Amino acid sequence: MAETHSLQDLQQPAVSSKVFVQRDYSSGTICKFQTKFPSELESRMDKQQFEETMQTLNNLYAEAEKLGGKSYLEGCLACLTAYTIFLCMETHYEKVLKKIAKYIKDQNEKIYAPRGLLLTDPIERGLRVVEITIFEDRNIGSGR
Amino acid sequence: MPNSAGKRFKPTKYIPVSTAATLLVGSTTLFFVFTCPWLMKVISPAVPLYNGLVFLFVLANFSMATFMDPGIYPRADEDEDKDDDFRAPLYKNVEIKGIQVRMKWCATCHFYRPPRCSHCSVCDNCVEDFDHHCPWVNNCIGRRNYRYFFLFLLSLSVHMVGVFSFGLIFVLHHREKLGGLHTTVTMVVMCIAGLFFIPVMGLTGFHMVLVARGRTTNEQVTGKFRGGVNPFTKGCCGNVEYVLCSPLAPRYVLDPRKRPHVKIQPPFIRPDLSDQQITIKVSDNGMHSTITNSKSKSSIDGLDGKETQPPLPPKADRYNQLKGQLTSSEESSLSGKTHPSTPAMYRFKPSFGTMPKVHYHTAGEKIVMPDGRKNSAILEEGVRSDYRSEPNLDLPEYANAPLHRTFQSSPHQLDADPTNSRTLSLKQGHHRPEKGQLQVLPPQTVASTAYKGVFSPNTLSNRNGSLSYDSLLNPSISPASANECMAHRGMPSMGFHSPYLPTKMCHIRESEIHRQQVAQTYSPVMPPRGLGRQSPHLRDREPSPVRYDNLSQTIMASIQERKEKEEREKRQMLHGRSQTHIYVQDSGVFDAGYGPPANASFLDGPRGHGSRGPTPPAYGGSRDNLMGVGLANYGQRTPVLRHAGTTLGRAPRTSSTSLHTDHSSSNSSQGRAPSHEGSYRSPTHKPRSPAMPRSPSYSHQKLSYISAHDRTDSPRLGGQRETMKVNGQMDCHLSPSRHGNVKKVTGVGGTTYEISV
Repeated sequence: MAETHSLQDLQQPAVSSKVFVQRDYSSGTICKFQTKFPSELESRMDKQQFEETMQTLNNLYAEAEKLGGKSYLEGCLACLTAYTIFLCMETHYEKVLKKIAKYIKDQNEKIYAPRGLLLTDPIERGLRVVEITIFEDRNIGSGR
Repeated sequence: MPNSAGKRFKPTKYIPVSTAATLLVGSTTLFFVFTCPWLMKVISPAVPLYNGLVFLFVLANFSMATFMDPGIYPRADEDEDKDDDFRAPLYKNVEIKGIQVRMKWCATCHFYRPPRCSHCSVCDNCVEDFDHHCPWVNNCIGRRNYRYFFLFLLSLSVHMVGVFSFGLIFVLHHREKLGGLHTTVTMVVMCIAGLFFIPVMGLTGFHMVLVARGRTTNEQVTGKFRGGVNPFTKGCCGNVEYVLCSPLAPRYVLDPRKRPHVKIQPPFIRPDLSDQQITIKVSDNGMHSTITNSKSKSSIDGLDGKETQPPLPPKADRYNQLKGQLTSSEESSLSGKTHPSTPAMYRFKPSFGTMPKVHYHTAGEKIVMPDGRKNSAILEEGVRSDYRSEPNLDLPEYANAPLHRTFQSSPHQLDADPTNSRTLSLKQGHHRPEKGQLQVLPPQTVASTAYKGVFSPNTLSNRNGSLSYDSLLNPSISPASANECMAHRGMPSMGFHSPYLPTKMCHIRESEIHRQQVAQTYSPVMPPRGLGRQSPHLRDREPSPVRYDNLSQTIMASIQERKEKEEREKRQMLHGRSQTHIYVQDSGVFDAGYGPPANASFLDGPRGHGSRGPTPPAYGGSRDNLMGVGLANYGQRTPVLRHAGTTLGRAPRTSSTSLHTDHSSSNSSQGRAPSHEGSYRSPTHKPRSPAMPRSPSYSHQKLSYISAHDRTDSPRLGGQRETMKVNGQMDCHLSPSRHGNVKKVTGVGGTTYEISV
């Protein structure tokens, strides 16, 4: 039994369901996700936390797509070097994407995983949806 | 390319790009070799330098346009699209800066194409901000490489102009040696440049206009914004800036990279539950709730839920299943998302215990019940916002909420027909102000109080609770009617509301009904049903809230007869509810016919059986009439229907019977704006007067609205119409003729609201 128990500990809990947070296109095609709290998560986490996560993600994506001095410079430099600069340097967007990935990982570890949820980086879905995986909540100590 | 199953090496597609590359490089090389030395000597060394730079620029942009990923979307995973595949509507509306934009379902990629995205048949990919597929570079031009393509065109034009000019200078200075090698070659180069001058310059000019207007070639050629407003434009300067200076977009088709592994181990932290949030976790008998995602599709599939659905399940086979789901969805949507996937559940999991886990859907922002009406409105709001642009989540939310509610408040019938219980619970839950605002229900009567008591969580599992409630009110009330009574009375969410309630009960209820009309209307099933049912019945006994002014005597008589018959049947059916449901579902008949009476119709209702109007418009009534009625009723029921409609609407994506079509249409038309409809209805119903006067306008409005949308939807599979989800608005796909029918029938059938004028 002990082995079984530890085995259960090691197993990843089963996926109960997935929630997909869609893009918010109300402001155009900029990358922005809906911040509305999905009902499936109501029993799993706080609304504020979720909305905060989504808002931060939206801000990060807005920063990535911002047309500013940095993007101008990057464009000019790329032009002048016949785009060979892309072989050596990371674009602004990619840098922010890395930041986003780090943020999501951070959120997962701190907030979502303890609640049996897992955020998936939307870049894996083509920035179309944010996938939230809900894991089955099995109480291991429930005398199973 | 991704998913290139069966892709063969097709040399023909490389011909244009090879030709273009050969001409470009070859001609320019010849120019440099034969013309430039003289130019360098005679004019200046800057000439070849300038030409060299321009040529380098052309090459760089040409390479980027050719080899860069234009913004290909990876295929959606199975689990993302499993709901949408054959139940989802073909189109989904989204509002962008106040303008409705349609997103089409891509059958290849399994997602709704984001705005400006299009599927390239040559590359077999959906491309973001799709411009066109350019054969000269053998690549799609999309968001990521449009800038390079545009710069390529610009630089090529400049290069051609330069080459032609300098060649002309050379030739003019070598007129006497026209037969010479250098001159001949230069002339050949000039001819090539001159030949391609017009097409290239034309294309460049075309794209300059596109960039200035902020459109893609695809949009321009298909005339999307012809005469309309382009929601994607940022003004001329903004558009130019966006094209030239925006950061390079990321690639979506990435190598599978290692996901950071996050350890997830139960037990999990749960949020603190406030009073409002009463989480009732129904033990799932192995049914993992896919309700969140799939619109109860998983439930139908036996819920293994998760992502075991084949990408394209046989649509025809599933239609009934879908319908069941839809019904449940509809119901839920109507009742403020309390819709349990009853039909589906019932069908596949007759036992209540097998209901999947349901998350309590806190009213929270959604359901605020200061009073019945408001609740409806707010519920609608919540409902509406739920599905707004959220194809995946809409139904699940509906499904979840209702189920949850059901458990929460349904005092009875847990063991009975799941559908009924669900319906009831829905309503109850709905009206059970999560915020403890029981006072929402008209508290005036003892009944209501009793009702509340009955539906407290304590009585959740006790069907007797309702009976006891009934006994409080009227000991003589039979259990069946008592249940119904209760349902009708307090709860707009009562699933089936028997029109055959005893006089006394009806009498008591009437006032409440009026009050709760709004709420009732909100719940798809309830309103028409409850009132409808009630009306004829009541009429016998006392003034009905529904106006039967326009009903002929004979019709009324027949209605009464029928009602009584149904009542009897219903009593019998109470236990054979399942059959009814199945009947409802299987038949796929939107026969509002009273079919198995209230229950059946109730169930059917959400499915868009149209309003099942409690009374079939014509007993002999043809199905059309019934359907018409149903449609009319549907108006009320819109939210539910819409919800269901949505799912049904999806059917269009798959083959569906014509019957479905009808219903789907009606369902689709319902669209997903339960909230919208609900709100719409609320005011209508407020006045207690039968919805008749109102519904016509409502129906009309919807009709017109639907019509507008219908017209725009060209592709119709099987004549089905895609569910148009207008933000918060419902597209009613009622046909005008149907509308007309509805008008008459509704009134006759006692359908309370939908009577159109």
